[in-house]
Amino acid sequence: MTIERKIREHLHKEAETVECPPAISNRIEQFYSQYLQQKRSGRPMKKRLIGGIVAVAILIPSAAFAAPTLIDMLTRTPLTTEQVKADEFGKAALEKLYSAFPETKAFEIIDASNVQGVQTSIILQEKGGTGKKITLHTNGITGAIEHVIQENWEPKEKPLTALTDQEIISKVDSLIDKLYGNIEQYEFSMEQMENSNQKTFILNYSKKGSTTPFYQVFVQGNSISVSLIGVETTPPNKVEGFFSTNGKPDYFADAYLNDEKLFALLEISPEELKQELAKGKSVVEVAASRNVSKQQVIDVIAKTQADGQIQGEKNGDVPKSNRSNEQMLKAVEPKVLQVIEHKTETPSK
Amino acid sequence: MESEYMYQLLTKMKDGDQQAFHTMYDATYQDVYRTVTFLVDHQQDREDVMNEIYMQMWTSLANYDTSRPFHFWLHGLVIRQVQRFRVKSWRRFRIFERICSFSREEPHWDQPSVLTSGTNDMISQAIKKLTDKQRTVIILRFFHDYTLEETATLLDIPLGTVKSRYHAGLQALRKNIWNLPPERMEKINDY
Repeated sequence: MTIERKIREHLHKEAETVECPPAISNRIEQFYSQYLQQKRSGRPMKKRLIGGIVAVAILIPSAAFAAPTLIDMLTRTPLTTEQVKADEFGKAALEKLYSAFPETKAFEIIDASNVQGVQTSIILQEKGGTGKKITLHTNGITGAIEHVIQENWEPKEKPLTALTDQEIISKVDSLIDKLYGNIEQYEFSMEQMENSNQKTFILNYSKKGSTTPFYQVFVQGNSISVSLIGVETTPPNKVEGFFSTNGKPDYFADAYLNDEKLFALLEISPEELKQELAKGKSVVEVAASRNVSKQQVIDVIAKTQADGQIQGEKNGDVPKSNRSNEQMLKAVEPKVLQVIEHKTETPSK
Repeated sequence: MESEYMYQLLTKMKDGDQQAFHTMYDATYQDVYRTVTFLVDHQQDREDVMNEIYMQMWTSLANYDTSRPFHFWLHGLVIRQVQRFRVKSWRRFRIFERICSFSREEPHWDQPSVLTSGTNDMISQAIKKLTDKQRTVIILRFFHDYTLEETATLLDIPLGTVKSRYHAGLQALRKNIWNLPPERMEKINDY
């Protein structure tokens, strides 16, 4: 056999064994959705920029705009101005915008659309004038404004990127402050991206002392694009240290017990549960006093943990174990059992 | 695969038809990924390149020359992205880092070593040892069965250059595979 034929056969045979990892497909699909979203919001996609956004979205799994694209390809339906005003979140977003920038009341809604349960998007533009434009994307579940794009607010002759760093920062600061408030709480880092076609700055705003950005801002040409990528690290209903050791909070069970569904099942508030546990009761006992069986408690907690694990694997945060849901539930059960049977040792007086 | 059909799919996809995207992706990703695998050694890098390729696909559709087969265009994209990737010097640095951190782990050539024992493994190794330029030509020639003329068009380099890379590549492969122990030599040289 000639070496040429050998190589050809070898390559084809070898290619057969090469499978494209699903993670790559997911990522590309996500890019595509992102691209569509950008396109629909009337903004040309800059590759570097999207790269940046998605990189961050992958790093921070809680990034709200990354979540929907991971689940399914969802379809966006256009909304009329009336529908926007009738939409709970659309209305709230508009009101917020109007109070932050009173001049936008005179703006015209040129485009609006939503993905049910995921996002409502509104684009407003100044009638005539310089074409000032502002785009709002709000989360369809929480109603939070996740993404704001402010375009053409500077005179054409002097785009944002021609300003000094200090001026850019103060513009961005004021935009965030007006829409979200509390700008003093944040510190930022600014860098210019490697992009020969267009000057682009990226600003990461993070809570003081925190390393993960909370707002990420891209400044490009004559637009400022703010993405809300962080989430509150401690939602108000989160309680820490359900158990205690030697009088100090013990965090070992928190991940298991901070579970909305568990609280709902036991009809108990997190604070109450903590108090009960502090008396030396186990979760099982608390449940029993409320006519909830041990198995029910296990099932609820195990399900949350398994779901979290599966979601984590999908997002690529944790290595794939390829275990089925049932296998995961089984695997987590002993751990749950340990947690819910644990009792804080009450001081022996 | 019909070029005309693929072009229509791409156009639909560009306009936001997700079904078209899926059809197009399913029809191409294995081929693209395999090509990338042959040309790029590291898993993480392959992922990045794959991404760039698909992104390029929907941003540079305007450059599609409809008189040429779809696959030709697609492979052009693949090759350009792989090359662009190689050019980036900062990436090189990362590759260096990665080699350092991964060298203790399993080999990156995507294949269980059990399957590739013997001669096949030798060929894999030999191909990996080629320079990037030679390797690209060898893969296009033997994996995609392009003629040398087509390869020249695809890579946008003179035919003479393709030929010299091709021959140098083959030469290097011969030399490496010739270094096999004598009993295997016979199997390979049965012209």
